Amino acid sequence: MANTVVINSKEYAIDVADDMPLLWFLRDRLEFTGTKFGCGSGLCGACTVHMDGTAIRACVMPISAVAGKSITTIEGLSENGDHPLQKAWVENNVPQCGYCQAGQIMNAASLLATNTSPSDDDIDAAMQGNICRCGTYQRIKKAIKSAAFELAKEV
Amino acid sequence: MNRHLHAAIHGDTAANPIENTNRRQFLKIASMASGGLAIGFTLPGMASPASQDDNISLNAFIHLQENGDTLIYSSRCEMGQGISTALPAAIADEMEADWSRVHVEQAGGDKDKYGDQATGGSASIRTQFEPMRQAGAAAKMMLVAAAAKVWNTSVDNCYAENHFVINKLNKQKLGYGELASLAAKVPVPKDPVLKTKDQYRYIGKALDRHDVGLVTTGQRMYGVDTKLPGMRYAAIVHCPVFGGKLKSLDKTAAMQVKGVTDVIEIPRLDVPYGSVGGVAVVADNSWTAQQAVKKLVVEWEAGPNAVYNTKEYKQQLVANVEKPAKKAAERGDVEKAFAEATHKVSATYTGGHLSHAPMEPNASVVWVQDDSCEVWASTQSPDDIQKTLGGYLKRDPKDIKVNVMISGGAFGRKFKCDYVHEAAAISQQIKAPVQLIWSREEDMRTGYYHSINAQHIEASLDKDGNVTGWLHRIAFPSISSLFNPSLDRAPDNALGDIENHPFGIANLRSESGEAPAHTRIGWYRAVYAIFYGFAFGTFADELAHKAGKDTVKFLNDVYDANTNPEQADQVMRSKAVLALAAKHSGIGKKLPKGEGIGIAVHHSFQSYVAMAVHVKVDGDDIKVLNVDCAIDCGQVLNTDGATAQMEGAVVMGMSLSLYTEISFKDGAVVNSNFHDYPVLRINEMPNVRVHIVDSDAKPTGLGEPGVAPFAPALSNAIFAASGTRYRDIPIKPLSA
Ligand code: FES
Ligand code: FES
Repeated sequence: MANTVVINSKEYAIDVADDMPLLWFLRDRLEFTGTKFGCGSGLCGACTVHMDGTAIRACVMPISAVAGKSITTIEGLSENGDHPLQKAWVENNVPQCGYCQAGQIMNAASLLATNTSPSDDDIDAAMQGNICRCGTYQRIKKAIKSAAFELAKEV
Repeated sequence: MNRHLHAAIHGDTAANPIENTNRRQFLKIASMASGGLAIGFTLPGMASPASQDDNISLNAFIHLQENGDTLIYSSRCEMGQGISTALPAAIADEMEADWSRVHVEQAGGDKDKYGDQATGGSASIRTQFEPMRQAGAAAKMMLVAAAAKVWNTSVDNCYAENHFVINKLNKQKLGYGELASLAAKVPVPKDPVLKTKDQYRYIGKALDRHDVGLVTTGQRMYGVDTKLPGMRYAAIVHCPVFGGKLKSLDKTAAMQVKGVTDVIEIPRLDVPYGSVGGVAVVADNSWTAQQAVKKLVVEWEAGPNAVYNTKEYKQQLVANVEKPAKKAAERGDVEKAFAEATHKVSATYTGGHLSHAPMEPNASVVWVQDDSCEVWASTQSPDDIQKTLGGYLKRDPKDIKVNVMISGGAFGRKFKCDYVHEAAAISQQIKAPVQLIWSREEDMRTGYYHSINAQHIEASLDKDGNVTGWLHRIAFPSISSLFNPSLDRAPDNALGDIENHPFGIANLRSESGEAPAHTRIGWYRAVYAIFYGFAFGTFADELAHKAGKDTVKFLNDVYDANTNPEQADQVMRSKAVLALAAKHSGIGKKLPKGEGIGIAVHHSFQSYVAMAVHVKVDGDDIKVLNVDCAIDCGQVLNTDGATAQMEGAVVMGMSLSLYTEISFKDGAVVNSNFHDYPVLRINEMPNVRVHIVDSDAKPTGLGEPGVAPFAPALSNAIFAASGTRYRDIPIKPLSA
């Protein structure tokens, strides 16, 4: 198996211990700090990134398990910060402290990739793993819906 | 310790501190070396009154550059409450600056320059709105004066609009950038003229947060995100029982982990914001450090607080409030009122410890060198970092340089800098910059917790259902215990919110029951208003039922009974938010079986909030459908920010009334992470509607006041829906 990982379209050698979670490879080794540490146990979603397009929790994903895969972090979600979700987040002034929001957006992007017009229940089910202690849930729902609406217009 | 500061910010008088009405401000102006205009001013708490001087080291809240870019420093700490948008917007408005040309930067910790930066008590807007506006207005007047000079006309012929000064006579325009350097040379206006409400451009509108774009692209830098060359990473395990100490340590296994360089003992620093004591591991990265911490073989000597078990302690608090306790305040004759009562009602309420659990755990980077010490930290109080580290390192607090990072949530926790002290202790020993991030488990187990509490209220009603007497006993370990560990109960001033509640009750006595502290107690968003709001709001509903009145009418009656002229404003404003929430919620209308609406009002931090909560109850299943939230915080700076604060308050209110509770067993916290400290998630989010009272009153803060009325409104709603009365929060504790 290749001992490299592609992160935001660039290939990196894996030069840390096999069991180091992807989160710390990103944050401490590559200094991509957009992905956050919240619980370290897969309970809060702050560390959500994409592996081959699907949301995963980077804090519980050993680096060895992502060798040869393609990872997208918040820094690489779009070229200019203009993913429909990112735009919807700005329009709806979603963030308060903002700390959870990279994880929220990455998780929502993964949802929209498979479900282009999620219902309230779909959003609840998909986003339940992402805690926002500041309490921005109402706006997150609204922003996901407006992004879905924009995406529908694009296709 | 700076107890005065804290008294001023938060106080143990809980939610309603006395205002300082000194309005005198000193502006100071300078031209910048690079050209342009810089304006600073003094705020309460600054070292020296400012003067006019070209060479002053400016605090410079405003930098207007020659290209027109305007930099505004936000002196208060940002933790998600939006203060770094709200206050700069007040400056920009008075200045007639174009918001799109304004950049906001977080000011570093410097009390002499920026005044009191400690951010808490919902006080920033209350204390800084006026001075910020005056600075903006002064800038505008100077720009207008500069333009008048250029055109050789009178200032009366000129006016400012959206980053330009315009000549009324010939419609000529000069941009702010062009005028900046000239403006720096005109005399400073003595009494800047402020706008009237109809002239506001940003104040009172829904304003975009200035930094959302950085958040959505992952570029906003928090306390956890600092990277320095040569920086080391640390993790820590703390003494689990407050007041305990290290008995033995075997670090062999930890030291064998590849990448680990040091294991460092950190003894307890016995000052209020110092470390409780712990052992830290230093490594190449956070992960390695965290893994190695688990390999430490540590034995602790627990000390006297090993007796602390919250289950028994809470029962003891209940016992202590169900018998006579120490009198704090009294008016009228409660015994006589009780003797003459038509009805007597009594109830006991309890609540548990809470952990702030912001999504970003405690984190900082500190670099201690022989001749300097620099800190990068998520914090609510850079000043306390300077004092605590100054004391620890035996250096002048002024020599501690604090870079205030954005906090990934704080809710009161990051007022205390024990985690920064620990990073300093590590850096001092390893002689390198170090980043210490607490694990979630350490964050949850090493807190400054919201007080566990019990309250017992007895009240009398006359034949018309009016309240004639009120006996209110409370027992809780208070925040004062942090500064004075010998306290065996909450001091009288911590019961001030009982005596000063705007309910009109002629005969009232408050009593403080025994409640020694066995852990560190701290300010948690809304502080004592959480339990006072719960008891007053729920008990009012219980009294209304006994009196045979609907709760809205009962509340109006009990407010109307207040004849104290000093509280007339409180009564009027409490009733207004009550009416607004009642109207929008439709309380009183017929609902399907199993549904109910409950309402509660609470006045705290000089703001007024009423919440009407609509629930659907099916057995144990409690679903909150809608929350109508009416607020009066005087003039609103940013309506969208105010709305966001209320949405957040509902979420926090819901977490603490349904789920969150920190339990102790044998002195140590039982909870560890979000599985056993379950906070609200998106699937339970109700529909929150925020209604803002249009007011010209002095603006007051909103970070905290929204939390208090949720729990009582919920309890009242559940009662309306099902007939079950919940008097203990959280309603669904995990480890019951
Ligand atoms: S940090 Fe990964 S789920 Fe919480
Ligand atoms: S915005 Fe602060 S935790 Fe979500």
